[in-house]
This record gives sequence, C-alpha cells and structure tokens, in this order.
Amino acid sequence: MNSCSSVEVRRCRPLLGTFVEIIATGESEEQAGDAVAKAYAAVARVQALMSFYEPESDVTRLNRLAVDRTIEINPWTYEVLKAAARMHKDSAGIFDISIAGCLQQWGYLPGPRGRAVAKRSIGGQSIALLPDNRVRLLQPVQIDLGGIAKGFAVDKAVEQLEGGGIASGLVNAGGDLRVFGPREFTVHVRHPAAPSRLLPLVRLSNAALATSAAYFSRKKWNGHWVTPLVNPLRTRSRAGSASVSVQAPTCLVADALTKVAVVLGQNSARILRAHSAAGFILKGTGEVLATEGVSLSDPARGTELCHKPFERTHPRIYR
Amino acid sequence: MSDWIRRIVAPSAIVIAAGAVPCYATTYLTIAQAQKLCFPEATQFVSADVKLNREQMKSIEKDSGVRVRLDAQKVWRVLAGDKSLGWFIQDEVLGKHEFIQWVLALNADGSVKQIEILDYRETYGYEIRNEKWRAQFHGKQHGAKLKLDDDIKNISGATLSCRHITDGVKRLLSLYELMLKR
Repeated sequence: MNSCSSVEVRRCRPLLGTFVEIIATGESEEQAGDAVAKAYAAVARVQALMSFYEPESDVTRLNRLAVDRTIEINPWTYEVLKAAARMHKDSAGIFDISIAGCLQQWGYLPGPRGRAVAKRSIGGQSIALLPDNRVRLLQPVQIDLGGIAKGFAVDKAVEQLEGGGIASGLVNAGGDLRVFGPREFTVHVRHPAAPSRLLPLVRLSNAALATSAAYFSRKKWNGHWVTPLVNPLRTRSRAGSASVSVQAPTCLVADALTKVAVVLGQNSARILRAHSAAGFILKGTGEVLATEGVSLSDPARGTELCHKPFERTHPRIYR
Repeated sequence: MSDWIRRIVAPSAIVIAAGAVPCYATTYLTIAQAQKLCFPEATQFVSADVKLNREQMKSIEKDSGVRVRLDAQKVWRVLAGDKSLGWFIQDEVLGKHEFIQWVLALNADGSVKQIEILDYRETYGYEIRNEKWRAQFHGKQHGAKLKLDDDIKNISGATLSCRHITDGVKRLLSLYELMLKR
C-alpha cells in the first residue's frame, strides 16, 4: 500500500436521528467518495428498515401487527432481531427491545399506532423468529431498536467502506463508533458532569466503542427524573450521573452492551468478557473504572490529574 | 476480586474556561466541494438567492411548523447544460450549544436529493447567540480546498439529536414550495 498517494475524506450527514460521521482513507478522492456514498446508503437503509418513526419501516409494521400474525421482514431487520434475542438471553432480560411502551409513556417515543401500549416489557418471548425472515408476534408489545440499530448501521457502513477498498477509516453514529484498518484512533469521551469537556481517553484500533449516558436526555416526568435508559426488570430508568462505555469487536455488540452495562454497572464485567468486550465507567467525579482490554490514554495534557492512589487489582499499572 | 481498575482522570472541580473557545469544531466541506458532491454532473450553479418579507416568513413558519430565523437564503439553481438538475440551498441552524452550517440538495421535482454538513461547532459558552461570533465562520466555507485540520476529535458520548437539521429540511421544503417552485 502506497501511503503517499492516500487521500482522507471526512463527511457528516444527519441520519438515525443523529449525526453520522465518516472518515475514510482511500487511494483517490473519487474512490473514497464512492465508498463513503455507499456507506451512507447502507446507513439510510437501516434507518428506513428500523426507525420507530418511519411509517413503512419493519419496526412500524411489527408494532402494528396483531398477536399471532406473521410477517416477512428484511434480512437485515431479522439479523438485528436475532442479535437482540441473543443479547436478551445473555443479559438475563436486561437488554430488551420491547421497552418502547415505557418510552412512549415518558414521551421519548411518539404514541402507539393503533394498538394499546404495554408499559411493562414482556421480554424475549414476545417475538418468534421463524425461517425465511418471517417473524410472528406472540405478545402485544411495542418494540424499539434504538438501543442496537445504530451499532448495526455502523457495522454495515464499515462493511461498505472496506468493500470499496478503503484502507482505514472510522464511522461514528452519534457516539457509537467503529474504526478499522492499521490506524489507531484517539477517541474523546464527554465528561458526564460537564459534557462540553472532551477527554481524549481511549486509543482504539480495529474495534467499536459505544457510550450510554443521561446527560443529554434526562427529563422530568410526573415530578421525577427519567432517562431513556430503562431497566426493564423494574421499568425504572437509570438516572445516574456516570457515563458507561463499552468496547467490542463490532458496534452492534458495543451498542447493545452499553445498555446492559448502564444497569449492571461494575457487575457487567462478566457479560462484557463473554462478548470479548471491555468497558469503562466515567463518573461525574472524573474517576474512571475500567476492565482489562481498554486502552486508556492519558488525558492529562492541560488538565490536572488528581493524585489519588488507585486500587491495584491487576498487574498492569495505569499511570 | 475486582475486574475493574480505578483511575482518576479529570476532577469536575476544575474550572471550565467560561466560553473562551468553542469546545469542538469541525469543517467537513466547502460550499464548492458540497456542490460538486451533491451534483457531480452539474455544469452551472446559478445564484438565485431569496429574500423573504415578513408575510413570507410567517407563511413558511405556518406551513412547516418551524421557526424562521433569517429573512434571506442562499440558493443556487443547478444546471447541466440547459437542463435543470434541481436546487442547492445553504442554511445554518442554531441549537442550544450547536451551530451547524449545512446544505440541502433538491431534485428538479423538489424532492430531497442529499444533505451534507459543512461545518459543525459546539460550545457551552454564550457565543452561539452572538451574531458577530457566528459570522466569523461564514468565510470558512469559501475556497476550493479545505486544509484538513489535524485536530479532529472523534467523540463517543450520549447521542446528540439532529432534529435541528430535520426541522431545517422541513422549513426549506416549505420555502421551496413558496419561493422556488415553478
């Protein structure tokens, strides 16, 4: 590979309800531009198939379905539902796509389309995955793929970029991101107590990173604070002040696991390991708790570090 | 035994410099680059800037449900020879902490062809509300080629909504209906 003739292209488009940024290093402006366009087309396709708001999406069609009825959905949607079911099982119900009823009540999602809303989630048995991309609705739930579709879209975009001959790059969908190729990227994480502060915390290479936090989405409902990060086992929202980030081989897994890690906190170490993932919790105090496998760089340049001794629980020492 | 390692990075007690510099800014495209990107077959971009009177602004507001902040819009008619390819409209939106310059490309039938962000900047200071501060970034989009800033920041955080852009699209589609459609 001749790095002297490489071109870096950077783009940003509004998709998936957020900003999707793509950085691609290719052989020419034209090659990179083509690959980037295909990558955005893949993201737009995910939006069309899985958006809660699109009237013709698979998600809307499912949410309109009567119980015991079966429909055929797009293979991509099927793949996401399959991954969601697996994650639901692995997380003992904490990852749950049928929490839409709850989100609708709190105003995070628009109201139901023609069917009564079940506030309490019913969990993994609500949709049966049949052969040939068919699904049957077993219980009257409303599903929302917001906790997993962005990650899937990022993976699909990366696939397009790699397929288009892009040597290295990054796709970032509103904070759910994935990097590929020989280049190591530095990723900034927002300080949860002051989200305008960006801490260059993580060094990432051929991996995905997703972050969940409540600092932009916290709101008051019926006199108390809610966030869209729901613990389905209690139908209560986690309104903590920390941000939780998960690093995983794919963005779909990283995206889904942050939702689990937000609920479990430090108890998520086991499920992270089971998915070849790692995580870190960034508290409002500036304290970071990290599992093994995350490459945390020193964010010190310009900021003061609190010289508090840390627990040595692991042979590697973080300076 | 804990699987987690504790480390202190940045105590929140550190005083944040009050609005002295934007906390994050990226320029992706110049106008010329965006024009070429949205309409690669175009031979001409003919300036067709629009000026709105109060009545027209109110009409667009009513039709789109979105507030109209500016009474002028930079618009280009896009041509390939004699054929109309559509429209290229430059716009800017103001969030609580975001200032975004972007473009909307419309097909000849008025449908959305493409949306590109030109410039994104974020600050928790008060400059966002200051017209003079915003004006200093207008010039950045001119010129044929951008010098890529080495300092781009890749951010993983809670999701920022792009609804200001989505609202902007609605507003510009209403503007198209009222002012541009033949």
